[in-house]
Amino acid sequence: MASDNDIAALIGRVALRDRAALAALYAAASPKLFAVCLRILKDRADAEDALQEIFVKIWRRADRFAAAGTSPLGWLVTIARNHAIDVLRARKPVSDSIEESRDIADTAHDPETESIIKGEGRRIDRCMEELESDRAKAVRSAYVEGLSYQELAERHGVPLNTMRTWLRRSLLKLRECLDR
Amino acid sequence: MTTPGQSEGDRSRDEVLAGEYVLGVLSQADREQVEARVARDRAFAAIVARWQENLADFNEDYGDVTPPADLYARLEARLFPERSFAQELASAASWWNSLLLWRGIAFASLAALITYVALETGWIGGRPAEPLVAELAGEGNAMGLMARYDATSGRLQVTPVAAGAADQRSLQLWLVPGGNDPAVSLGILPQTGEGAVEIPAALRPRLGEGVTLAVSVEPFGGSPTGAPTGAVIAAGQARRSSN
Repeated sequence: MASDNDIAALIGRVALRDRAALAALYAAASPKLFAVCLRILKDRADAEDALQEIFVKIWRRADRFAAAGTSPLGWLVTIARNHAIDVLRARKPVSDSIEESRDIADTAHDPETESIIKGEGRRIDRCMEELESDRAKAVRSAYVEGLSYQELAERHGVPLNTMRTWLRRSLLKLRECLDR
Repeated sequence: MTTPGQSEGDRSRDEVLAGEYVLGVLSQADREQVEARVARDRAFAAIVARWQENLADFNEDYGDVTPPADLYARLEARLFPERSFAQELASAASWWNSLLLWRGIAFASLAALITYVALETGWIGGRPAEPLVAELAGEGNAMGLMARYDATSGRLQVTPVAAGAADQRSLQLWLVPGGNDPAVSLGILPQTGEGAVEIPAALRPRLGEGVTLAVSVEPFGGSPTGAPTGAVIAAGQARRSSN
């Protein structure tokens, strides 16, 4: 696997419309991105189509990478996940939820306490351990497989609204932990 | 009640909404709303970016899966359609014609059967939009060659195929131990694709330097008798590759 610097350099050259760089970037990153497509779409033909679309997007959006200021592979995986999830949602629509009222507690902290505990490790793993295991599992499989609330609810055998509450509270706990 | 456009002041709702978006649990319509807001609301975009960074550790769960070999050529054909397959073929034609000479060559060793030629950049002149494929066959010959050039890897693969679709034959690979011992079948060569044969575990100890490998043309599916019945079209002694 190419290093972050190599991949960042390749993305930079792709932004300059360097076709050889695109080929090299494809060679370096396509196994990871294809794995993302397969895991989310669970269909080989769909995953192949998606991978092509993803590299078309990478070719067209490479100039935005520098502005994103993130890890190069992370940037590529984000494009891949977003595309695969879009395909998945278009294939099997799920109900909208933004308009619903939410049962979410405010987690504002005393700024003084916050500043004291800041600077500890930020790894997500440590914070995931603070969640109950089934909720941590739901968070992780939502991310990795692109599961909808409905699918997560079915998998965990809980009502849809319970799953919504689980995930939203888990997100707030994670944010609080990550910010510590 | 809130929408992504109206909840700018509500930090924890934004955190949750951004987190839900990055997790991927939202509906298509909600995803589009979030993306529209990311485009116009820099503070919210930063919240989304932070979740992406935080959750990126989960990316290690995906592992790696190599996509099919021809996918990059398909991608290039979509991105750079200016050179059509026909044009590529025309520009490569003279080169392919020289390959036709190969059909008259009697193969001296198995090594000649499956030939990988790493092409120097520009040898063909430009990058083919699709993998180039050529079937090379001579009049009345029992076998032909399938040549396939993959622009991604710069690799030209030549695979032997039994000629004649109507009267399909198989190419069977044999181990000839020498002396009076009968030839042992090592399997049927694939008609297309990789020219590789999985050697049965029991036979592996017998495959060593000095044994003879041979290929014969057999009825489709392989020799009905267990011994070579058709013409032996290639044979050669196995030796250690010097490189």
